[in-house]
This record gives sequence, C-alpha cells and structure tokens, in this order.
Amino acid sequence: MSSRRADLPLGGDATRRFVPLIVGAMVYLAALALAGTFALDSTVRQWSDSLHGVLTVQLPGVAQEPEGDEAQARIDATVGVLLETSGVLSATPLPYAQSQALLEPWLGAGDLPANLPIPIIVDVSVDTGARINYEQLGQQLEDVVPGARISDNGVFLSRLVTLARVVQLVGVVVVFIVAVAAVSIVVFATRAGMTSHRDTIELLHLIGARDNYIARRFVTHALSYGLAGGVLGLILAAVTLAALALAAQGVDQTLLPRLSLGLTAWVALLCVPLASALIAMITARMTVLRALRRLP
Amino acid sequence: MVRFENVGKRYGHGPEVLRDLTFRLMPGSFHFLTGPSGAGKTTLLKLMYLAQRPSSGDMEIFGQDIGKTRRRDLPPLRRRIGVVFQDFRLLDHLSALENVALPLRIAGARREQIEAHVAELLAWVGLAGQINAKPPTLSDGEKQRVAIARAVIGRPNLLLADEPTGNIDLAQGLRILHLFEELNKIGTTVVIATHDRSLITTFGRPELRLSNGELTLHKAPPVTLRETNPNETDASENGQRV
Repeated sequence: MSSRRADLPLGGDATRRFVPLIVGAMVYLAALALAGTFALDSTVRQWSDSLHGVLTVQLPGVAQEPEGDEAQARIDATVGVLLETSGVLSATPLPYAQSQALLEPWLGAGDLPANLPIPIIVDVSVDTGARINYEQLGQQLEDVVPGARISDNGVFLSRLVTLARVVQLVGVVVVFIVAVAAVSIVVFATRAGMTSHRDTIELLHLIGARDNYIARRFVTHALSYGLAGGVLGLILAAVTLAALALAAQGVDQTLLPRLSLGLTAWVALLCVPLASALIAMITARMTVLRALRRLP
Repeated sequence: MVRFENVGKRYGHGPEVLRDLTFRLMPGSFHFLTGPSGAGKTTLLKLMYLAQRPSSGDMEIFGQDIGKTRRRDLPPLRRRIGVVFQDFRLLDHLSALENVALPLRIAGARREQIEAHVAELLAWVGLAGQINAKPPTLSDGEKQRVAIARAVIGRPNLLLADEPTGNIDLAQGLRILHLFEELNKIGTTVVIATHDRSLITTFGRPELRLSNGELTLHKAPPVTLRETNPNETDASENGQRV
C-alpha cells in the first residue's frame, strides 16, 4: 500500500519546474552581491587602518641632481619643521628609488630622464589624538621650502572609503530586494498551488484536516524548491567568483585593490541556500494559513 | 446530537435559501431528507457538516454551539462527521484505497490499522479487486461506493449522505443502505438526502421534508420489505413543521 503518497500532489505542478530556476537566479544574484559586499569590507578595513595617523608631504624635486645637496637641504628643512610640530611622531623621506618606482605604472620601468624633477615624498606619522593645525603647518613648510605641499591622504582615502561603503550599502539593498522578490515568487507559487488544488484542500478541510496539516504539505514543497534553487544558485555564484578570481590574477595589484573573501564570507555564502529555503518555507506557511482562514 | 434553532441561510445578498429552521436530531436517529431540487437540501447538509455557517440562528452539533466554537476547535468535530458528497469528491491522484484511508490518515491513525480496515471495507462494498484503481478508471457507481466507504471508515457519530444511491443499481443501493443501518445500530446518527421514494418506503424511516426553505417532519411510512424501527426524533406529528 502506497499510503505515503501525498494527498496534495504539489510535485506535479507547473511551479515545480520554473520556481526552482527563479529561486536559483535570485540566490545567484544575492550571493554575488553578498560576496562583493564582504570583499569590499576587508579592503575598506585596510584603507581605514592605513589612513589613521598618516599623511604625506610633497616637495618640489630637483632636476639633474635628484639626490644632491639641494634636495637634501629641502628634506632636512622640511623634516626639521615637521619634528618640531607637536603631535608629529616621525617624518621619513622616501628614498629616490622608491619615488621612481611609484611612477613606473605611468612612465614605465628604467631610468627616467635626468631633467625630470621627481617630487620628494616625506611620509609623516602623527598622533591620532593630536589636534594639528594643518593650514599653519602647510604655511611653515611653504616658508622653508617654497612649493611644499601636504597631501592629506586622509581626505582622499576617506572619500574612497565612503564610496566603498555606499557600494556595500547597494550590495545589501540588492540582497534585500532579491529577498523581497523571492518572497513574492513564493507567495505567487503558493497561491497558484492553492488555486489549482482548491477542491482537494476543501475536501481535506471538510474531513477534519487542521490548517497545519494542509500547510505542512506546502511547506515541504517550498523547502524542496527553495533548497534546490538555492544550491543551483550558489553553485553558479561559486563558478562566477572563481572565474573572477582567475581573471583578477593577471591585473596589477597597484591599480586594483586585492579583493578576497574571508571565512565569515564563505560561511555567509553557504547560508544563502539555507536562507532561501527558510524564506520559502515561512512564506509558504504564512500564505497558506492566511488563505485557509477564509474557510469556515 | 444536532440542534437547529431558528437557523437561516442566505448567500451574499441573495434570498434566504433556508428560513427559520428549528429541529433536533437525537443521537442514534435515522432520517431521510427530501424535497424538490433547489429546496436547500444540500445547503442544510453543508451546515450540518460544518462547510458553512448559518446566516442567522443557533446551531449545535455534538452539544457544541457552533456560533461560539473557535475555528481551530472545528476539525475534531468534522472528524466525527462522515459525508457522502453528491459529486463524490474523490482525489484522482490517489487509489481507491488511499482515498478511503484519507480520514484515518488525517486523524493520525497507524499505518497497519489503516491497511486492515480500509481493505476490509472496500471488499465489503464490492471493490476488493479495485483497491489500487484510481477514480478516473472507475465507473460512477464504483466511485460512489468509494465515497461511501470513505465516509464511514472512521465510524462517524453523524453520517450525512447526499443522494448516496443515485448512481448505483437497486441491489447495491440496498446493500449500502443496510451498511448505514448497521452503523445506525451502533449509534451513528444518519441523515440521507434522497429523491428516491422507494428507499423511504423500503426502510421505513422518518422523513425531513424541505420545501421553500422550510422543514417539516413526516413519520415513517409503512415499510414494504422490512420491519420498521421506532421514530427517533423529538417531534412526532406527521407533517408537523419542525
């Protein structure tokens, strides 16, 4: 006796074929958005750490003799002013070779023309708690080395961080919209299932089935297509991320920040199919129970 | 068992299908429900099997005031009612056996208990060879017998049947009615809606006659083939409005 056969044959519905695909597409989008958000998060954290207590002073370079006495005099004067300033912890001039290396992505490797005045860079670390008057400091540096300029990395990086945070927020909004769309699809599929099995549901109701008994059939169905779609979407997302990682290997790391996913991110991604199944189950249950309340 | 007090029923803003019905069915009673087409027999049965609520009046089933019973407390009451629907309402994707087993499954009966009882009952209604057949492959008469088996499998306290012999031959019809009588003897209250006057005279049971939305009780007619049973209602006059 096949008494385990479902009294509500939801498995044969048209929804059985297309809903897992749609849920899969939703999970795919959500997983990519989530991966992007997590990857950006680690980068933003690196940026945030780097802009704490660091600024750069840029001095006009000396053509022909970039490492000569004139250049050294400018460095000494600048470092002197900086170290006398309250709150400045250290001032370290960047060696000429490193300054050259910084220009390589734009000007290419090899010896640069001698008449090119490469700016002299001085890395300055400051006490994050100190209140430095950068306008006054800038004027003092200008007085000792005309053309000296403080590059406020903080402003540049904080704008970059803000932009990254906005992109992250967009990622979260995408995940939210995908979740809302998934809920709508499940509501639609559940209602379609209830309509096509209206007579059966009414019969079960009349012979004494509780609402929970009927709802359980829809919840089990939703669990199956939520999980199937979720796993499908996650596999596609994993393939896409792997392809992106492969493509990014050939890109110069100085042009693009290194995006990587930590353990938390992977755990979160693995939870996406479970979340899709859970959302499908809860939505199906609420939809069925609400509809059944209309029966006497 | 069943008590109606000034019960009325209308659908939406339409006319009253049932008007001011007041009657009582005692436990273990057996009645035929008659009346012309459109008189409201099916509506009255729907009220009794809790598919609908009355528009007015008070209704009690198994001593429970249905108007005051919470929705979540209705399923246990429905499990005590067996219904034979006029259109059978069998589930086409399930076998005859699974259809009959449905009330037991819903009530949470054990699998072995279901198997033994259902197969036995299907054999009794003459469908031993078709327990695995699905409704689309059965004749109307066979479907009706499956529907009847489903209605009685749970030994209901109240059995309501809407034209249960409409699609089967006389011999099968009598056999089914005898089954209803057997259930009645062990305490099931039976109400059978029918147009078949020969059944009423054959079984000699009181008749609830519905006409123009009103109900009258008619005492059991003299039986033609068998001995009559005492009248089980609390109303006794022939043609008395109940």
